[in-house]
Amino acid sequence: MVDLFPLTLESAETSRRGKRLIGPLNLTLSGDGICVVMGPNGSGKTTLLRLMHGTARLTGGRVRWACDTETARHDQAFVFQRPVMLRRTVEENLAYPLRLRGVARAEARGQARNWAVRVGLGEMLERRAVLLSGGEQQKLAIARALITEPALLFLDEPTASLDGRAMREIEAILTAARASGTRLIMSTHDMGQARRIADHIVFLLGGQVHETSAAESFFAGPETAEARAFLNGEIVE
Amino acid sequence: MKQALILVFLTVFATSAKAAEVMRMAVTTSFHNSGLADVLLPEIAADLDLEVQLLVVGTGQALRLGRAGDVDAILVHSRMAEEAFVAEGYGTHRREIMYNDFVLIGPSDDPAAIAGTDTAATALQAIAAAQVGFVSRGDDSGTHKKELSLWADADVVPEGAWYNAVGAGMGAALNTAAGLNAYIMSDRASWLNFGNKGDLVLLFAGDPVLFNQYAFLPVNPERHGHVKADAATRLEAWLASEKAAGLINGYQIGGEQLFVFNATP
Repeated sequence: MVDLFPLTLESAETSRRGKRLIGPLNLTLSGDGICVVMGPNGSGKTTLLRLMHGTARLTGGRVRWACDTETARHDQAFVFQRPVMLRRTVEENLAYPLRLRGVARAEARGQARNWAVRVGLGEMLERRAVLLSGGEQQKLAIARALITEPALLFLDEPTASLDGRAMREIEAILTAARASGTRLIMSTHDMGQARRIADHIVFLLGGQVHETSAAESFFAGPETAEARAFLNGEIVE
Repeated sequence: MKQALILVFLTVFATSAKAAEVMRMAVTTSFHNSGLADVLLPEIAADLDLEVQLLVVGTGQALRLGRAGDVDAILVHSRMAEEAFVAEGYGTHRREIMYNDFVLIGPSDDPAAIAGTDTAATALQAIAAAQVGFVSRGDDSGTHKKELSLWADADVVPEGAWYNAVGAGMGAALNTAAGLNAYIMSDRASWLNFGNKGDLVLLFAGDPVLFNQYAFLPVNPERHGHVKADAATRLEAWLASEKAAGLINGYQIGGEQLFVFNATP
């Protein structure tokens, strides 16, 4: 597996129609585990993930990987809050990214079946993906992203609007991915979820990195008044 | 009816020089944006002494104008809708005249990486997977119908914040895509003629499914007695002639041929 980290943002920013959406950001992410991006609505969480992934345009500064950018992008995947399902079966959705990479049909099918079982969709292989529940679709989307064994997986609010059971199942999938060596960078509104699974926290406010630290120390005693207020459930802008 | 009238009044009327006879033809915005009409209409006027007034609308609206008998013929590019138009008795027949192709346009840094894909379906799947901005005509035009058929072929339901249906013609949709730095499907002619490209570039073309066939459909005089069927017949013969073939095949922008004549005698 190629080493993507440390990932460094140097005065990185993105603007649209003259309005700066986020940045300038200076941030270095290294190490293993799950990095959770937190912050109030509109703080730029999704844009930060997209900027790092390369699907939001960098209008200033740079995003630097430990390897060349093309290799880094090839070795990462992104799961959205509302994933797009192909109008195919669960198995075909899972096999799709492998087929794109030239994996033989039988091999892709075998891996798809394995992954379906791993994420609890083993009984639904022939079901149309668009007919799955929200939680099932999200599990499928995560499995479809992980099936190519990316070094890094971005997830944007992966459990928003899901019930407790689906959330638990997805968190189990994510922690299993962490255990197998995949680095995860995700955004969440859910403080409890961040406490349960985060190893590292990036706290965003107004399009800026306001605080970044190990999850344990962030939740034990954030450095800034704004982060403290956010953790106390107050409205922070 | 009120809506149809408003659309007619908003329509661009492109006319050739004064001639003995006048007829009306509804054409697609993509055809008009290509600039080919400016080449063909003066020649038609000179050869047939016929002034062809163009009502420039989307294919869906062009077919509605034909159904209402507001035009004498239509020149559009949506085969299934055209065949339905004839089957319902609103058109006498459908004659293929020429084709061009659709292309996929997007930001020069191509965040969805469609430039290296093999098929239009894979390219659209990549855009959907990356959930990067895509602008759709969303106006029931032939181009819009074609785009929707390509999404269906790709097994993707295009919906979500990344998919922006603007309900506008090709030029306005391209402007929106340039403003959002988003992906868009365009006919090649409109793209080449588009002056505000911003950071957009042509990223994908060449899949045969992007073939864009234009057909001429005379409005049925049995449905609407007032239509100028004779003028439409003369125009059709001219559009299928060797002279039209030379003009259509010879029409270029920036050294690129835009249309291929394929009318059969």
